[in-house]
Parts: sequence; C-alpha cells; structure tokens
Amino acid sequence: MAASEPILEIENLVKHFPGPGGFLQRSSVLVRAVDGVSFKVQEGTTFALVGESGCGKTTVAKNVLLLERPTSGSIRFQGKEVQRFSRRELREYKRAVQAVFQDPYSSLNPRMRVMEIIGEPLQVHEGLGGRALRMRVGELLENVGLNPVTGGFFPHQFSGGQRQRIAIARALALQPRLIVLDEPVSGLDVSIRAQILNLLVELQQNFGLSYLLISHDLAIVEHMSHQVGVMYVGKLVELAQKDEMYGNTRHPYTQALLSSVPQPDPDIPMGNAISGEVASPIAPPPGCRFHPRCPLYQETAQCREQEPEWREVVSQHWAACHKI
Amino acid sequence: MDRASGKADSTLLRVEGLKTYFFQRSGVLKAVDGVSFTVKAGEVVGLVGESGSGKSMTCLSLMRLVPRPAARIVEGEVWFDDRNLLELDESEMREYRGRRMAMIMQDPQTSLNPVFMIGDQVAEPVKLHLKERGRQAIERVLETLYAVRIPSPETRLKQYPHQFSGGMRQRVVAAMGLSTSPELLIADEPTTSLDVTIQAQFLSLIRELQREHRTSVIWVTHDLGIVAQMCDRVNVMYAGRIVESSAVRRIYKDPQHPYTQALLDSVPVIGNRRPRLYQIDGQPPDLRSIPSGCPFWPRCPSAMDICKEQYPPQTATGGDDFVHCWLAEQ
Repeated sequence: MAASEPILEIENLVKHFPGPGGFLQRSSVLVRAVDGVSFKVQEGTTFALVGESGCGKTTVAKNVLLLERPTSGSIRFQGKEVQRFSRRELREYKRAVQAVFQDPYSSLNPRMRVMEIIGEPLQVHEGLGGRALRMRVGELLENVGLNPVTGGFFPHQFSGGQRQRIAIARALALQPRLIVLDEPVSGLDVSIRAQILNLLVELQQNFGLSYLLISHDLAIVEHMSHQVGVMYVGKLVELAQKDEMYGNTRHPYTQALLSSVPQPDPDIPMGNAISGEVASPIAPPPGCRFHPRCPLYQETAQCREQEPEWREVVSQHWAACHKI
Repeated sequence: MDRASGKADSTLLRVEGLKTYFFQRSGVLKAVDGVSFTVKAGEVVGLVGESGSGKSMTCLSLMRLVPRPAARIVEGEVWFDDRNLLELDESEMREYRGRRMAMIMQDPQTSLNPVFMIGDQVAEPVKLHLKERGRQAIERVLETLYAVRIPSPETRLKQYPHQFSGGMRQRVVAAMGLSTSPELLIADEPTTSLDVTIQAQFLSLIRELQREHRTSVIWVTHDLGIVAQMCDRVNVMYAGRIVESSAVRRIYKDPQHPYTQALLDSVPVIGNRRPRLYQIDGQPPDLRSIPSGCPFWPRCPSAMDICKEQYPPQTATGGDDFVHCWLAEQ
C-alpha cells in the first residue's frame, strides 16, 4: 500500500496540563502528557500509536479531534495548519475527521434512537431530513452490517459489538477522510473483536479511509496498521513501517513491550518482564525517560543525563536511544 | 496416566454437575449449567470464555459467594479433599474460604478498602485464620509482601491503597490471598486492568510462587495468550458449560471443539499475519433462552441437524481430555 500524500501531519506537538494543585491554589507542577511528538498519517493508511496507559496517546488523539488545544506544535490537515483554519475550513475539518471511542456504552446517547444518533450529523452538516435522511441512515446501517429496520431501536437494545457498529456508522455518516479509532475493540468480547476489526479493514478499503489507531494491544496494531509509533511518557521512542517495526525492532522499550505480550502458544515462552513501572509524566526521569527500566542501561551518564536524539536509524525507521 | 506418582497427581478439587441459576422476574438465567472439572494438587487450570460464559460465577460458586438471593446453587457437588463444600454449614465453610482456598478478584481498586492501611488489610486473614497476633502477625505480613516483591514493605505497611500503583495494588491483593498459604488460589482475571509490562511482571510472579509452593490455581481469563503461558490444563466455557477440556498444549495444537478453534483463529497473533481474521458471526446466547441442543450451533460453521436437537454427550479424547461436540462423537 504505497502511500501518496500525508493527510495528517503532527509536528512537535506538546500538551501540558496543570498538575494536581491545592484548593484555591494554582498548581505549580505540570503534567507533560505529550512532550514533542511528530508523525504523519499517509492518505488511505492506518497509523497506530501504541503505548501503556499514561503515555499520552489518547491526548494526541484529543488534540487531533480539537477536544484539547495543543500547548505548542502544529497539526496540519491536507497540508493546511489546523490552528489557522477559517470558520468554514474548521467546519469542513470537523466533517472530515471523525472518531470511534472505546466504550460503546457511553459514546451513544441512551435516549436517542439509532436513526437519530446516526442522522444527527447529517442534519447538522447536510441539512438532510425526511425520507432522504432515512434512506441515508439505512444505507449506513447496511454498510456496518446492521439491518436498516434497527434504526428505530434504542442503544440498550443492542449488544456491545452492535453498538460499536452504530458508533462506526455515525462516524461514516459525513464521508470522512480520517477516523480516529481510540481503542475501538478493548471493550468487546474476543469473538466480537474480530467482527469489528474485519469491518474496519473492509471500510478502509471500500472508502479509502485513513485511520489514526490508538491502542495498547500490539497484536491488534500489527494486524491493522501500516505504520506504527511507540510512545513512552509523552514521547515517541520508535517509529517505522509495520514490517520494519515488528521485524527489526530497535528500541529496548518496544522490544520489552513485544516480549511482554503472552503469546497464545505454550511453546513460545514469555520473555523476561522488565522491572519497574511507567514513569510519571509529572516528573519524568532526566535524560532518557526509559533509562530506569531499560535492560540496556549500564549506569552510563549519557542515558541518565542526556535526552536521546530522535534520529533515522535505518531508512524510514526512527528511534530515540543512545544505545542504538 | 501416571497415577502411581502419588501426591503430585492427586485431585484437590472435584466439581460435579454444578448448576448456579439466577431467578429473575423475566425467567431463569442459567449462569452455570452443569459444570464438572477437577484440579490436581499443584496444577494450574484455566477457565476460558467470553463474558457471560459462566466462568466467574463458577468461581463464586466454589467459594460459596454467589450473590443471594438473586442467585442460587441449585445442583452439584464441590469436593475439596474429601468434603463436599456445598454441604458444609457457614462456620465450617469459613475454615475453607480464605484459609484453604483464596480468591483474587479482577479489580484491585475495589478489593482493597481505601480507608485502612495496607498492613492491616493483609493482616486480616492472618489474624482471622492463622490466629496470629501482634509481632507474629506483622512478621507474617512482611513476609508475604516481600514474597510478592513489594519494595520496602516496612514503610509500605503503613500506607493506604491510593498510595500504590495499579500493579502494586494487585500484588497487595495477591498477598492477602496468599498470606494464609492456601492450597487453592482462584484468580479471576487479575490482570485485565494492568498494562502489558506490569501484567508480565504479575504473571511471572504468580507462576513463580505457584511453583515454589505447589499451590493449585484456577485461572479465569478470556485471554488465550495468558492461558498458554500460565496453565497446565484448559477448560473452555460457553453458555454456562465446559465444552472442551484439554492439556494446554493440545488446545493450541489440536483443538477439538469448533468454538475453541474459532476463538483461536479470531485473535490477531504477533508474527502470524492473516489478511482477515476468522469471524465468529452472531453473539453469545442470551442465558435466559439458551438454544436447544448445543448452544453453539447457531454460530457453528459445521452445525448438523442433530446439534439443534440434542446436547452432545461427553466424548473422551485421550488422557483426561474431553469435548462436547457431535463431530467428535462420529
């Protein structure tokens, strides 16, 4: 899948939140949720951000969805800076960029019928109504493998997997270019996950969609994505095409993540677990943020004091580590 | 099988025809519908299935902790050593629950009381069951916290749950369970809320402690990766019953039940690329109206006429392994 143009370019994105402070008292600490992240999503492909909880992957997604304002850095969509969008362009952007969230129980309004949930964006953006609206919603339901007659039902009448299909239909309603998938199958049962993942791949092929996939599951990421970025405490530590990332893993953190996944094969024993816990984004360790847990760290001052440079270690394969 | 090797192969727990039903206004929900399995001394047995397959309710039934009056164990036997736990009165049961069998729940947030210090909480089973007091109890608590690799346990003792990370909290919960050196540990999806590197730490810790003390473990999970790494034997559950039971290697190399096969084919596996995942269509059945015959037939790729009419009998497939499927019967 040779990609052409980047649809989304994130450059040096930084998002700091005020940390926990006292009552009546401004907090003086900063939570460095995202601390300088750059990547590109190529048109028609899937870019996956992987990492453990607190690494900042969801904050990146929220910035892309304009649910948070970046502290600094730029987000460009189809070559244009999002922050400098005119009102009209912003409206276009909100149409073109949609989202599917983790929990299909809280992302659908329980008081709205499926018809209204999927129809709302069409009414707002396209002024559709009446028969035309019903037709279009029926079509969208078919696209995601649901019977159009279910349009009259409420969310509670559906199972988790079906609800996620409804959320996907809503995201598709405005014919978006990019869909942010924030842990789209984490809340679903094993047998239902495959249904949703297959559907997402199918839709991507049929509509030429681009995906920004946020996930902690390395197996799902390998299955779904074309390019992968691994985050650790607010920073990207490694970025490459999928085959390169999984075939030629360079960063010790990515290696640790991969060896921590219990493989469904008793003949492939789990690798040695790395010690320690994910560092806090309030006071990230100096130097390389991964050094306190790193199996390659040997008390060298470089790892402890100097932030590793983000560099291209092989063509089209970036990593930030002194030991590579 | 080598029954001759004595203690190592002896059965610690035997569950026979366990049925736990919920009685609701809309009907009877058959959460556990005739479950039988055994756990040998020192064996790790997996209960695998999706939500609603009855794996958690099976565990709660073994501990006799099913929520009452909503649910009731309506039938079955649970033999622990030579006593049927379901016939014990409540005070006799307390000799088993927490003392000889312990349970680790899924969510470390809710299994710890936020207003008590960690040390006191871990000491509770020690005081209650081992009748240890004062210095002796504290020593025991320190020992268990040390065993689950909690750094500087002396200071941690006087801290509260909110001062612990998720992974550390789950270790504390494990310490509570293990403090009385139970013979059977029931772990109900203890790692679902943990990050993958922390999960790996927890899994290897439990595996190590289990081997060291030869504790029997029932490990409940929906993650086939964890089963492969942790278990000696696997029981696959669907709609309140065990549909296949096999030695762990066999389940992965030569699954007998179409549901087991389908589950294995539907999860993405690192390093095993497939353009499309196998898709089990439909959903697990509503436990208030389980289809007649084999409950999996509406989703089964090889369903036959007989599957719709009669529940398949147990077919032995070698060793202690068995499957409930008409395909195997033929």
